[in-house]
Amino acid sequence: MGSVATGQILIVEDESNIVESLRFILEQAGFEVEIVSDGKAALSRLRRDRFDAVVLDLMLPGMNGFDVLKAMRADAELASLPVLVLTAKGQAQDRKTAEAIGANAFITKPFSNAEVVEQVRALSGA
Amino acid sequence: MAQALTGLKIRALRTEKGLTQIELARRAGISASYLNLIECNKRPAAGALLDRIGQGLGVDRAALDGEAEQRLAETLEEIASDPAIDGRAKRPADAGAVVGRHPDWAELVVRLYRAYNDRHQAVLALADRLNRDPFLSESVHRMLTDITSVRSAAEILESGGALSTRDNARFLSIVGSASRNLSATAQSLVGFFESANIRVRSATPMEHVDAFIFESDNYFDRLETLAAGLRDHGAVARAMAPAAPAPADGATASLPAPETARFRAVREAVAPMAADAVDGLVGDHGALGTEEARDLATAALHSYTAAAVLMPYEAFLERAEDCRYDLDILSRAFGVSYEQAAHRAATLRRPGREGVRFGYMRSDPSGYVTKRLPLPELPMPRYGTGCPLWPVYGAFQSPGTTVRCFGELPSTDRFLFFARAVEKGSRAVGMPRRLLSVMLVCPGSQAHRVVYGDGIDRSTAMLPVGTVCRLCPREDCGHRQEAPLLA
Repeated sequence: MGSVATGQILIVEDESNIVESLRFILEQAGFEVEIVSDGKAALSRLRRDRFDAVVLDLMLPGMNGFDVLKAMRADAELASLPVLVLTAKGQAQDRKTAEAIGANAFITKPFSNAEVVEQVRALSGA
Repeated sequence: MAQALTGLKIRALRTEKGLTQIELARRAGISASYLNLIECNKRPAAGALLDRIGQGLGVDRAALDGEAEQRLAETLEEIASDPAIDGRAKRPADAGAVVGRHPDWAELVVRLYRAYNDRHQAVLALADRLNRDPFLSESVHRMLTDITSVRSAAEILESGGALSTRDNARFLSIVGSASRNLSATAQSLVGFFESANIRVRSATPMEHVDAFIFESDNYFDRLETLAAGLRDHGAVARAMAPAAPAPADGATASLPAPETARFRAVREAVAPMAADAVDGLVGDHGALGTEEARDLATAALHSYTAAAVLMPYEAFLERAEDCRYDLDILSRAFGVSYEQAAHRAATLRRPGREGVRFGYMRSDPSGYVTKRLPLPELPMPRYGTGCPLWPVYGAFQSPGTTVRCFGELPSTDRFLFFARAVEKGSRAVGMPRRLLSVMLVCPGSQAHRVVYGDGIDRSTAMLPVGTVCRLCPREDCGHRQEAPLLA
């Protein structure tokens, strides 16, 4: 998977199988990875610890990914934290909406592992 | 037009029978040049002259007067003016010539158009279903999630060497479990589409009831007549006593609104007396395929009867025309709620005594359609939302006030829409108000009869609306929720 990267990544995803794979490929690439499975937990974790990038699913239980992203962009501390939106919602309108509210990159499921790693590297500056 | 077709028809029949103009003119007792003028539609042929020409051709006069052909030509003109046909027929008036010269082809075009329309309606129904069926969207999401799991785990397994035995087993297990999930989802989707094929007509009891109500144009003469005779009945008259205003203390907040309580009382009072008539209408009506659908239709007709008792047809129509369908005036005049008055306005379809033709839609704040009566040119979705620009949704932003607009469909059909979000049912402590938005819509051509169109300048305030996003070609619409079915 290329050179070893460094950085803290928060994965916000509620599908356990996908979480397993994401954790594995990002750790293999050298990142330190934390996992949360819903939007509220994501915000509280982001406000508590420092991360270099966020991998954010849109279809989350309770507070969805769009709302998490909006809340991040409204928070001075999190406004510029890079976010890779990762979702099964592949329609053009979702992508436009995600970009309009501040997503830095967008990948639709099913994704290739290499693409996810590459995007996270680019966003985190690793 | 019939006259123009008569000339063409005479020529066609004469040619078919191998007669010259001279011979037919002789038989009809006119000059050949005059017959030529008739055949070229430059002179009329009617009365005794048409009889003689008919005799000369050996056909009945009815075969020449062109009425059936006129109907056919009018249908062709209508087809030519359908914006969906893209206005290729530049001169719809040529329809008469087509019918006169090629009646079989004209008939064929009409049949093709009807078939097209049938299929179009089927597409609308299927698109509506695909658009909003939660089972389908959940299944697609489930499949994408499982495919993602399989692909990602498979890529990790493929990468080989560095994997520990434990990781290898873990990702093999993910591939296995996600594959089994995929199989289950695929099987349930197959089951869904198989059952959808079998039940094209209807998927839910409410669709049966919708079909039943559409077939009757939302008007039931038998119940109107029955209601007229029930008003003086003791129990009904007592139930109709004016609604007492609710005392203004917190303890009554859980009671239904006085108009709602009155409506329910009337419905209960008329139910035993309307039972036979309602059963007769519901009976084994072909549109009502299930017991549940028949129960729902029965309840709907009992409510219809109660509405007809509280808002007698002629009195309501007269008052409605007088106040130009001001629903606040109507609700006060008849002691009913705004919603009851609005729904009654959509039932004014008595043949020969019709009111303004309204479509009706009622939605909850989530967009779920709880009642609908589409117009022929304005389909309304059974499932989920219509165009987000329809005021039925905007009305939730300011409950209790009427939101109105003129809207133009991509077909260029124009409508006046007006809607109000009203509170429904009783309040429960700690729960939000239950709001429903009630919308009426009428063709733009009827808007002058309705007070809600007043003061809107249609030349500048015509909202470009659609029906449902997947069928709407307005690609640049900022309110679009989903990509169009046909890009």
